[in-house]
Amino acid sequence: MRLKRFLAKAPIFLMCLVPVVWLAWAAVQGRLGANPISVITKETGTWALRFVVLTLAVTPLRRLAGWNVLVRYRRMLGLFAFFYGTLHFVTYIWLDQFFDTASIVKDVIKRPFITVGFTAFVLMVPLALTSTTGWIRRLGGKRWQTLHRLVYATAVLGVVHYWWLVKADISRPLTYGAIVATLLATRVAFRLKPKVAPRRVPAPNTRAV
Amino acid sequence: MVIPWIGFPLRDLLASVEPTSKAKFVEFTTLSSPGQLPGQRRPVLDWPYTEGLRLDEAMNPLTLLAVGLYGEVLPNQNGAPIRLVVPWKYGFKSIKSIVRIRLVDHQPKTAWEKSQPDEYGFYSNVNPEVDHPRWSQARERRIGEFTKRPTLKFNGYGDQVASMYAGMDLRKNY
Repeated sequence: MRLKRFLAKAPIFLMCLVPVVWLAWAAVQGRLGANPISVITKETGTWALRFVVLTLAVTPLRRLAGWNVLVRYRRMLGLFAFFYGTLHFVTYIWLDQFFDTASIVKDVIKRPFITVGFTAFVLMVPLALTSTTGWIRRLGGKRWQTLHRLVYATAVLGVVHYWWLVKADISRPLTYGAIVATLLATRVAFRLKPKVAPRRVPAPNTRAV
Repeated sequence: MVIPWIGFPLRDLLASVEPTSKAKFVEFTTLSSPGQLPGQRRPVLDWPYTEGLRLDEAMNPLTLLAVGLYGEVLPNQNGAPIRLVVPWKYGFKSIKSIVRIRLVDHQPKTAWEKSQPDEYGFYSNVNPEVDHPRWSQARERRIGEFTKRPTLKFNGYGDQVASMYAGMDLRKNY
């Protein structure tokens, strides 16, 4: 049964790896242009944001379209957001700053877009660490769910980070902002509406009234 | 960047038109063609892109009009058919695909100045001591190199250009 579950998730898992595999191949082949470190930083950051968005899209799609199967992949999508976020952060501290701690600290304090980006990343750490079912049990479902609402902050801060680092063309950050705002707004709408159970196949032996 | 441009000094062109004593600045305009340049279809900047230099900056022997690089004719993305190269200033001053050059008596408003005046000034000399409001200019990575290096004031051309700014507060005149 576990093997079957594992194999069912494998195709999505492999698809989530495509961006990093492509990046690594392109880097080795020298196909990243004249400023490869900048491209790596941008690509890893954008994919981190995209995976946060995908993770946030699971619940609305479940509630609105009844696609319950997506829940199975939500943890994987969230962990890939953390994975690409980590790559993005490591690219910055290694290839950009060469582990110059004083310089990094100064950047995080002095440059608002880095402060915000760093915070967005740091907020994902407890989520990654508590992503297992063992931790859901340890914390209890309710506490775990409250903790994992931090992903909302990561999404918003990620958009602000993007907004504050572009030179003049805000169209992309604006688009991500609109998407994140929509995904968060649907959650507010669900809260305000009376509780509706997600659509499921009616159980057999239901008595006709 | 340390790029082997192919071109000629702007001052040769300016000398040939014999500017009068009223000429104080040089204004440049680039191609406006949303059909060919898709980035111009949205008003990210106030198209057409414009730039300017003070007359002495324009007459400096380092200021080039470039028609090629690396032994090749200038490709479209590098500003074909002719572009400016002002090596001691930030790259956006080196306007591409020039369609008009005017000698004017007033300091022209450049595209980036108009867009974000608190971030981009008229002079835009390379200066590690003056940060961009949102990020530092203290270190740079040269195209083709892996590690970063400290940025040099005037991009290392201080000997040839610093005298033009003697007595100027380069923090105010960024």
